[in-house]
Amino acid sequence: MLQHIVPATGLLFTLENILWINIGVFIGSVFAAIPGLSVILCVILFLPVTYSMTAIPGMMFLLGIYCAGGYGGSVSAILINTPGTPHAAATMLDGHPLSEQGRTKAALKIALYASTFGGVFSALMLLFLGPQVAKIAAQLGTAEYFMVCVFGLTIIAGVSGKSMIKGLIAACLGLLISCVGSDPMTSYDRFTFGISRLYLGLDLAICLIGLFALVEIMAKAEKPLDRLNLDTTQIKDDGVITKAEYKRMARPVLLSSIIGVMVGIIPGTGASEASWFSYNTAKNMSKHPEEFGHGSVEGIAAAESANNAVTGATLIPLLTLGIPGDGTVAIMLSALMINGLNPGLSLFTTQGDIMYAIMLGLILVNLFMCLQGKFLTSLFAKVVSIPQEILTPIIVIFCFAGAYSVNGNYFDVGVALVFGILAWFLRKLELPPVPILLGLVLGSMTETNFRRALLISDGSPRIFFSSVYCIIFLVLIVSAVGTIVRGRMKEKKAAAQKED
Amino acid sequence: MKRWVEQFNGHMDAWGRKLHEKEVRIPVDLVTGIVFFLFALVILLVMPDQVTISEKDVVNGRAFPALLMAVMLLCCAMLVGKELYKLATRQPLNWKVINIQVEVKALVILAILVFTWFLSKVTGLFVVGAVFCCLGFLLYFRCRKKSYYAITMVLAVAIWAAFRFALGVDF
Repeated sequence: MLQHIVPATGLLFTLENILWINIGVFIGSVFAAIPGLSVILCVILFLPVTYSMTAIPGMMFLLGIYCAGGYGGSVSAILINTPGTPHAAATMLDGHPLSEQGRTKAALKIALYASTFGGVFSALMLLFLGPQVAKIAAQLGTAEYFMVCVFGLTIIAGVSGKSMIKGLIAACLGLLISCVGSDPMTSYDRFTFGISRLYLGLDLAICLIGLFALVEIMAKAEKPLDRLNLDTTQIKDDGVITKAEYKRMARPVLLSSIIGVMVGIIPGTGASEASWFSYNTAKNMSKHPEEFGHGSVEGIAAAESANNAVTGATLIPLLTLGIPGDGTVAIMLSALMINGLNPGLSLFTTQGDIMYAIMLGLILVNLFMCLQGKFLTSLFAKVVSIPQEILTPIIVIFCFAGAYSVNGNYFDVGVALVFGILAWFLRKLELPPVPILLGLVLGSMTETNFRRALLISDGSPRIFFSSVYCIIFLVLIVSAVGTIVRGRMKEKKAAAQKED
Repeated sequence: MKRWVEQFNGHMDAWGRKLHEKEVRIPVDLVTGIVFFLFALVILLVMPDQVTISEKDVVNGRAFPALLMAVMLLCCAMLVGKELYKLATRQPLNWKVINIQVEVKALVILAILVFTWFLSKVTGLFVVGAVFCCLGFLLYFRCRKKSYYAITMVLAVAIWAAFRFALGVDF
């Protein structure tokens, strides 16, 4: 590891990287602070910008958006009692009451420091655990890799949306869309319907612009115009956090960071699950549980450190196995692959310097997030007040410009529009879009490993049950499905009891 | 002009109120099951035409999509079966309310998006589509502030210029 760290530091500390980190952190904070705009949307919109960059600045920019998104959501949660991102909902429970007590700046500072700790802790975990997991990943064969893909897809299908069956339908749809274009093994064309431009397949970024961004624009039809006015004059208290409060924060921050990392490693789970789980744990372990919901510093610290501790952990399965921990990092995979960086052990050996630079960069991203949060929070709040009338067409222009810039033609913009319409129908049918995204990302890997494994076994499916790793993943899949189904049944029972 | 705009807005409001009351209820899980069951069948039917294979292949290019469609058929059958069981035992189905006003508004937004794409493609100038997009959305939101029109137009041109000159995208 050490032989990579010194050259990696040299690669990381350049003016270009520092600049892109800061631009990413600023954009991510602003996007996450605006309710209705998500971090995933932000990453999709700015992904085409990274196409002309090399791996390190590109990833630093995207990681800046991703990590700052973890903190940015808390700004509107604390100021106007509306979480900018879903995972900031737990922060809101105590952040806004503390703000109402005249301690807005203190609440924002607690959120910022806890987020930074969680993020740095998570980045360190990535730095130490990543290479170890990659070593295990190197022992996996084609059949095992197929099982890993099925495991990732099953969990994501299970936890996204209300129904596991619908999640699986969506995952199958995503995998099918990934089959469009030339066959990865024989180069014969598939599902092109005579359209020659489809021979090279559908670009991930273009599909995502339609599935996640354009559909959100169409969703403006569902709700009245949002009028956000984040009153920055609220942030005028001294923002002092007492020694006793720092002491009270220490335990929940550390514990929540560990929970965040553990939750983040599991594909399909994300910051929301981590922040709620940590919030409840902190409440149960607190000496003052009665303060929770009324401006508890422990509550804010627990929720915020957990949701940022997820960021580095989600990269562990992504960089080692190619399985994204959540939807946002799935998009980052394409930014990596465009620079010839394919997940696995080789990433940590042959491309070790670049990889370690990215992992160390994650620590830097969190530190810059802390600095920007400390000095620019009032500015974030002002930018958040941009009227929707201005914001909406600007997002559309970004989407279209991004879709065009991938291959330099309007056909791709049309494809993005078609995906937008498809996403609108799927929304009406209550089909979650995240399993489609995962299907698109993992499609080629899943199919190639499936077919290679069958070729090795001369067409016998027994190969998928033959090795220890295959059996371990099979057990994991079955137990994950069982847990999800049991959880859903419990939820239904509880809901039925409530109705009675 | 002002009177004409107000009259137009009045008509739109009245029309909107009428549409707002119109709702369609669909048994969403049943419909999803049937739609995707049919979709999977269609894909399986067109597969021989759409996926060329070689006779020599042990595992050909149809194997994986066929497996996916089989899983999709199975999931759809389970979804439909579950809903039919609910119907038979008189349990409430999962209904989704579709508001016609929302759908009409979504169609208007879609029309703005399609025209933006169409104008950019026909003129070969992305900036033309971008300016139309700004105008379209500001009119959709019934924005009356002239400053908003000016700001969005400037931003639209700035984004085009950033992609054109800074990122080297030729449009």
